Amino acid sequence: MATPCEYTAYSVGMGERVEVQLPLPRGRGQEACFEHGERTVELKYGLISVDDHVQEHPEVWTQRLSRERWGDRIPYIATQPDGTECWMVDGAKLPMAGVASAGAAMSDRTREPQRWSEVPKVVYDPTARLQAMDVDGVDASVLYPTVAGLAGETFGRLTDPELELACVQAYNDWLIEEWVSASPRFIPQCIVPIFPVEATVQEIQRAVKKGHKGVIFPAIPMHLRDVPHINEPVYDPLWATCQDLAVPICFHAGSSTRVQFPAYKDLSPGLAAALSALTRPVSSVQVVANFLYSRILIRYPTLKVVFAESSLAWGAYELETADHQFERQRLHLEGYDMKPSEMFHRQCYMTGWYDRSAIEARQYLGVDNILWETNFPQATSTWPTTRDRIAQSFQGVPEDEGAKMLWGNAAKLYKL
Amino acid sequence: MQIKYGLISCDSHAQPHKDAFTSRMSKAKWGDAIPYLQETTDKAHMAVVMDHPVERWMINGQVVGNRGVVNCPTVMNDPMRKYFPQYWGEVPSYVYDPTDRLSALDKDGVDGEVLFPNDPVQSGTFFQGNADFELDCVRAYNDAIAEWREVSDRYVPLAVIPYMGGIDVTVAEVQRAVKKGHKGIVMLVEPSQNLEGLKHFNDPYWDPLWATCQELNAPIHWHAGGGLRLTMPRWSGYTRNQEQAMGPAGGFSVQAQFIPNLIFSGVLDRYPRLKWVCAETGLGWVNYILEGCDHEWERRHLWTEGIVTRPSELFRRQIYVDFWYETAGIQQRHNIGIENIMWESDYPHSTSTYPESWQFVNRTLAGVPENEKKQLLYGNAMRVYGL
Repeated sequence: MATPCEYTAYSVGMGERVEVQLPLPRGRGQEACFEHGERTVELKYGLISVDDHVQEHPEVWTQRLSRERWGDRIPYIATQPDGTECWMVDGAKLPMAGVASAGAAMSDRTREPQRWSEVPKVVYDPTARLQAMDVDGVDASVLYPTVAGLAGETFGRLTDPELELACVQAYNDWLIEEWVSASPRFIPQCIVPIFPVEATVQEIQRAVKKGHKGVIFPAIPMHLRDVPHINEPVYDPLWATCQDLAVPICFHAGSSTRVQFPAYKDLSPGLAAALSALTRPVSSVQVVANFLYSRILIRYPTLKVVFAESSLAWGAYELETADHQFERQRLHLEGYDMKPSEMFHRQCYMTGWYDRSAIEARQYLGVDNILWETNFPQATSTWPTTRDRIAQSFQGVPEDEGAKMLWGNAAKLYKL
Repeated sequence: MQIKYGLISCDSHAQPHKDAFTSRMSKAKWGDAIPYLQETTDKAHMAVVMDHPVERWMINGQVVGNRGVVNCPTVMNDPMRKYFPQYWGEVPSYVYDPTDRLSALDKDGVDGEVLFPNDPVQSGTFFQGNADFELDCVRAYNDAIAEWREVSDRYVPLAVIPYMGGIDVTVAEVQRAVKKGHKGIVMLVEPSQNLEGLKHFNDPYWDPLWATCQELNAPIHWHAGGGLRLTMPRWSGYTRNQEQAMGPAGGFSVQAQFIPNLIFSGVLDRYPRLKWVCAETGLGWVNYILEGCDHEWERRHLWTEGIVTRPSELFRRQIYVDFWYETAGIQQRHNIGIENIMWESDYPHSTSTYPESWQFVNRTLAGVPENEKKQLLYGNAMRVYGL
């Protein structure tokens, strides 16, 4: 990728540890920039947010799926007897707290919109979203879905693979047609049919060709429907394809509620949402642990794995415990050539948005393995005061290290 | 308790004697339902198949624990630290005999230990029969371990509680056990997940129990996952070793979820002097709870929904966590709260630091000032348990 910009010239071989001074942008005239397709994006603020969510508008699927073939099984917004609205997918109500997930953009952050007319434009309109990013100091935003599942899990639950594929493709096409065409500051990632793996691979190839830069996959697909365990070799073509196309595979927290603490039925909506915001990221602990022991990373040594919305504060303990257990159980005798922490540092990323102590103790996770996000427009998002939060979290961190975590690692990972 | 070595283990496991139940429960009333060791050659009862007869704990016709008779690999002279004794005769007396066990404490340089259950008491429960049966089993266990404290005040026993007979029965047993010398209780993290019909932790049903424990100054203990399973499906491709390696590396996810629930349940605000000890937690991930709960509390204005105190303040006021081998968490000790951290040996389980606990202590706490070391190694424990 040829570019006149200072920081895109920075490239490091896979697995190498090279100290590179990454300048933070310092205002006009000295701005870094990155390429995106044909166009170039300026690095104006010094933040690439690696986990934000688009809100699918009411016609995403109804416009793209054949009414004749699918009828009411197409995802659409239905009005309920009490006048509120909800998303219906394949005839069943989607378990969302509202008709959109927009807490950060609501006047009351504890309330999700119950009718489409209440949904703030900033969550579903790309032009309005760009303004919201400017307000918050975000140069580029890596996109995850909402209705299609925060972790891309919604259509994996469907038992009809043809409907699953049709819904997935409509989302992937829509994201390119309406968001990426609006600005190169949006970094699209595709969702995929979870099984059979041939369908997964074909959709990845199709989507990457269209411009998608990452692959979202629910981390525990066997909780969605009756498919093989994710460690089974039957999934190898998935890992191989991501490795070959050099696109990261992204496991967003929350793909399965069965690994989250069951909330009390009478917990107030605000507390229930807060509890879920705590139980969701840390439910990725098992996903990370499983990946470190599964041998997938050994078989695919240049595959990059992002644990999105993981938060960071438990990462050091995860790596320390995984290594401790590795030694206690003598796993080097069972065909593991690398310690879990070594595999992590070679291939994995965790993401933070409010973390402070993990930034202080960043040597454990690794300055090269930490990414930053704003998590807009979830209620937990730091928007619109992300800059303040970054100032607090990165206090005392050398400029070059901060630049890596806030945008350098992301630019390299997504080849921007 | 007299401090000679400067080390109290806040998570050790007391092994009741094989006759602990048969000698205390009515044979006329319960017959063979009473927990006892039975010889078996049934391979289905053996995690590792043996070509000789083995003994297994039997409770009301069900085998409990297929690995062996006692979880005590750290004392079995197995360099791989994996062997579970297969019959009672193999079990060293310094695991189940309170007098002999004092010599093990001395060998390891440990002044005292807080006693959680061991076989056959799993997750502190006896759900294999009706409420009467459960209560009698619970009482037999609590009586047996209360006697340890009569042998030596170096033991800090914790009672298990009955669940099936209603909250009044639970409360009465806590009162009885504390009177007998127990210093706290062990309970399930989320009872409704363990037995149908039990109430969710957040339900006001439990209020009398919280009130009683607060009044008696008896901390409530959750051990490791506390009986809650929130796990990925097993993969058949893992060896036993690999699966065991996965356990702790994935397991703290559960603790990192039920502590936020405790904080957001409102119970801490309603019972501000009640202490909660989360054993076998580790420290390195605890900042996740503190930063995460504070963040959500600020973002969502949770003081308007009944959580009037900042979550990290609630934690420092009422919640305690344990460590045994790690360094990252010790570096973070001031963020977590230097008064909220206690040491544990986990004797006699496989992860235990016995019999070289001081090697682990010295490695883990290298560079920590003396006064802080004292707090972490025994001072906080003495305060929490009023020793």
